[in-house]
Amino acid sequence: MIETLKHWIRRLSVAITVGAYSVVAPVGYTILAILCFCWRKDPIRRARRLQSITSSAYRFMHRWLGWTRITVFDHKKALPELPDGPFVVIANHPTLMDVTAVTAVIGGACSIVKPALFQRAMIKPLMVGLGNVEGPGPDPIRIGRVVDDCVERLRWGLPVVIFPEGTRSPRAGLGRFGRVAFEIACRAKVPLVSLTITCKPLYLSKQVTLFRPPHPTPHLEIEVLAVDQPDSLGSDSRVLRKTAEQRYHAWLRKVAGEASPSYDPAPEETECQTS
Amino acid sequence: MSDQLVARIKEIIVETLALEDVDPTTIETDAPLFGEGLGLDSIDALELALAFHKEFGVRTHENDENNREYYESVASLAKFIAAKQAEGAASES
Repeated sequence: MIETLKHWIRRLSVAITVGAYSVVAPVGYTILAILCFCWRKDPIRRARRLQSITSSAYRFMHRWLGWTRITVFDHKKALPELPDGPFVVIANHPTLMDVTAVTAVIGGACSIVKPALFQRAMIKPLMVGLGNVEGPGPDPIRIGRVVDDCVERLRWGLPVVIFPEGTRSPRAGLGRFGRVAFEIACRAKVPLVSLTITCKPLYLSKQVTLFRPPHPTPHLEIEVLAVDQPDSLGSDSRVLRKTAEQRYHAWLRKVAGEASPSYDPAPEETECQTS
Repeated sequence: MSDQLVARIKEIIVETLALEDVDPTTIETDAPLFGEGLGLDSIDALELALAFHKEFGVRTHENDENNREYYESVASLAKFIAAKQAEGAASES
């Protein structure tokens, strides 16, 4: 009975949060659009400033999610291993909160955005202003331009975040890594930072949807798995990918081995199939 | 499409992408190159496009809505290269 009540309280928290977001977000987008216009003369400075604002907004969002006990994430936890200057960040992708959490922790970063989202009339000026890069879409040859654009963002001094699986990770697993992130790091000659993201119990994965938050409160954690200098691996994106992929699989095996027997990833009732 | 062209495309795929443990003759002509099948990604496609340009003089243009179709399998690549070569020959004569 109490457990059921806790689930419903959690669902109510999510509903209130979504309601608050739908009121606040248009105001936020409008302010960002105005700032985009005001700072249009210097795209590099504009991207840095907007990234900083976005990062602060995500930090506030995660603080809010903590207050409402929807998810707990300590964005203040420092990652001392992060290099100075621009770098490429890769991470596993267990939940939809990954992007906001990584951006909150590293203080702003450019990412590759699906063309369908990037080209939306209301969103495009913000995407451009933030220095995000439009993805290749169905044309595989356009990836050349995507790589060039990401290298340019790194030259601007901004980190680039890429989820090499291209989609959310399968439950307790890892999808096959694409080579884009590794190719960008090699071409830009910048460090490649591998982050691990864990969310226990799992929430906002492909199976656990927004309005079915699990109980107990999911804890999101980000840690640095490794920092690789591409030239130490011959600046070969294939070698870099293979090294990173093997390291992530080893980490997953370690995490699976350490899983507490009392850990319940998500109650059965929170499961639902999505495409 | 000629068997010779198909065989050469398979060799180029293995050479360009350094698929050391793949014998070109074992690549299925109609099997998908991306995702399942050989499991290539878009960076591989880009490298192949450069290799085909070097070998056959065939350029793959960015933003061509048919690129995904051209690079779907060895068979579709052979068809694409043969068609482009025929186009080139026709314009020269």
